[in-house]
Amino acid sequence: MTAPPPPLLPLAHGVGAQHDLPLSPFYAYAGAFTALLVSFLGLGLLWSSSRFRGDRAGRALPAAVQRCADAPATRTALRVLGAALALLFLLHLVLGPDDPDRNPAPGALYVLLWVGLVPASLLLGPVWRLLNPLRALLALRPPRAPRPVPAAVGIRPAAAGLLLFAWLELVAPDNTARPVLLTALAVHLAVQLLGAARHGAAWFAHADPFEAYSSLLARLSPLGRRADGRLVLRSPLNGLDATPETPGLVAAVCVLLGTTAYDGLSDNPRWITTLQTSPLGPTPTATLGLLAAVALAAVCYGLCAGTLRLLNRALTTPLTSFAHSLLPIALGYLTAHYFSLLAVEGPRTVMMAVGTDNAAAPAPPLGPAGLAVLQVTAIVTGHVLGVVAAHDRAVRLFPPARAVAGQLPLFVLMIAYTLGGIGLLIA
Amino acid sequence: MTTPAPAPAPVTTPTPTPVTTPAPGPATAPKATAPGLRRTVPAAAALAAVLLLALAGCGGRATTHHKPGTRHEQATGGNGTLLAARDESGHRLRELPAAEAPAVRAEVRPDTEGGWNVHLALERFRLTPESTGGAALAGRGHARLLVDGRETARAYGPWFHVPAGARTLTVRLYADDHTVWATGGAPVQTTVPLAASAATPSAPSATPSRTPEPPATPATRTLDIRVTGSTVTPAPSRVELKKGERLTLRVTSDRADTVHVHGYDREAALAPGTPATLTLTADRTGLFEVETHESGLVLTQLVVR
Repeated sequence: MTAPPPPLLPLAHGVGAQHDLPLSPFYAYAGAFTALLVSFLGLGLLWSSSRFRGDRAGRALPAAVQRCADAPATRTALRVLGAALALLFLLHLVLGPDDPDRNPAPGALYVLLWVGLVPASLLLGPVWRLLNPLRALLALRPPRAPRPVPAAVGIRPAAAGLLLFAWLELVAPDNTARPVLLTALAVHLAVQLLGAARHGAAWFAHADPFEAYSSLLARLSPLGRRADGRLVLRSPLNGLDATPETPGLVAAVCVLLGTTAYDGLSDNPRWITTLQTSPLGPTPTATLGLLAAVALAAVCYGLCAGTLRLLNRALTTPLTSFAHSLLPIALGYLTAHYFSLLAVEGPRTVMMAVGTDNAAAPAPPLGPAGLAVLQVTAIVTGHVLGVVAAHDRAVRLFPPARAVAGQLPLFVLMIAYTLGGIGLLIA
Repeated sequence: MTTPAPAPAPVTTPTPTPVTTPAPGPATAPKATAPGLRRTVPAAAALAAVLLLALAGCGGRATTHHKPGTRHEQATGGNGTLLAARDESGHRLRELPAAEAPAVRAEVRPDTEGGWNVHLALERFRLTPESTGGAALAGRGHARLLVDGRETARAYGPWFHVPAGARTLTVRLYADDHTVWATGGAPVQTTVPLAASAATPSAPSATPSRTPEPPATPATRTLDIRVTGSTVTPAPSRVELKKGERLTLRVTSDRADTVHVHGYDREAALAPGTPATLTLTADRTGLFEVETHESGLVLTQLVVR
């Protein structure tokens, strides 16, 4: 071996060196078939009058649990925990080595926060609202006369923030390098803190992408809060039914669907060839691709909503009325795409954070077949939950005679999303 | 500083000068004097005893033993009978009856970075690098490695690596006094062919006589990739590999760069116009990208199932 040692180059790629294996056709067909079968069965057999009661449903937890959860001490402890974690992240980012293989900061952002929020929110509800270090920062010096956020704003700023974060994660070059992360952090802080200085802590619920993301996913948590303020255990479908129809909900859901779909697309060799040979350059092309994926998800939903409006003139807000039923589909996409990232890179990031230099990635917990089953199950389960949620909403909003016909556009849309999702896993 | 100045040490014991002959009963001397001199230093006395034992050489050894490197002539112990025959470099053979003679077997596996990993399976034989140069004792000694008939190295342990380019490997067992262990008049040795298929650095025709034999080890697939500007030919696609299969990537770039296989974290430097090869064993399942660092191009994807 007389070859000179290879030069030490900064690794210019994101977190995680391994991608999931493409789905084998067997699992893909099995998943697609199940999705179709369940959809048709649901159309014919599901109840004909609405059953979900949204935030009025649920079995109340014991009062002691509620007292403990609502105690100011618990809230303060969570605030301090969130602030401490954020400080740790910042210290690693600023003082640690500028190398994603040795610095836990990029993994903490892209894996522990972004992907870890999914299981955390699903189990415990909107956790980021409780941990958000920005809220802790604001609590130090709250604005004296906060103005209310205009109703028309809704969660639109958060949807835009989600799109920007997805761009940073999936498109931005050198997205694990310190300067890039610091710039992104500075922009995030500026937007959030300026807004909060004007509108108070309420601004975060509207504009913090992670808070909106966590709150949306928490709609599917069995742990929720009833309209009367009690902590309850409830069916995720009831929680989903209670999703507030705020402006920007459609945008946020379409961003989640589109960006996760783009993540699947970006593994495709044909798309890679397109990126590398595009005259625009790889980054602008990838940006266009990301925007196109989000636009495609949105246009499909828009067409579907337009058809619903044609079928039922009384339906004044077709877009927001059914947006909640896309959430489980987005969750299925997220689980299918990010499970192994969390399972492999999550522990590695923690190992790095506790001081192991150049930690080895642990072996994936599932073999190829197990992972394929998990991915297909996640997508099909999301599809089934979406179909059920849309059905219940349809029988509530449509006159009984037209309820079945009225679901058809949504039905077609969901099958398209699900088959598309499975297709992206094969590709 | 040959005489210890302070009083507490057992002064009457031999000063720590190099001892070339075993001192008679060194262990008893400090024990006899220490209690008589000072009661406060039994620990120092014990330490001195240990030091002396170490200096006197390991007392448990056979009397034929010499310290490493103190003698170079071949000792004629009672272990085996010296034969008149010699090996290539002039070491005499030491004959043992077949039942007592050691045996050696070499297991060879190609390494993912080129060359071979060799494991020696030894019977009735122990590698004793610490006593090399001493007298011959049956069942002890070292191994010598002959690559393509030329001696290249000694093996003092059961595992070693043979660099790429070798065709045959002979492992021969030697006694501590550098005589060759033999039985039936022949040296105890084993010869294994090294398959020509294993990874070699892309030295063009380094050994013209080499004929690529059909590989004995797992099949190796070769993938040729050419990078011109930002164009990759063939266009990036997916290479399906079975777990355990070997793959050789031969990458030609029109500029200096580094090719990197993610997940396996293997890298090779690319010189403009010169093909660089990188061989790896696909021992992890998953989808892995092969990328260039400078230009940031994805060359291909490895799908290992």
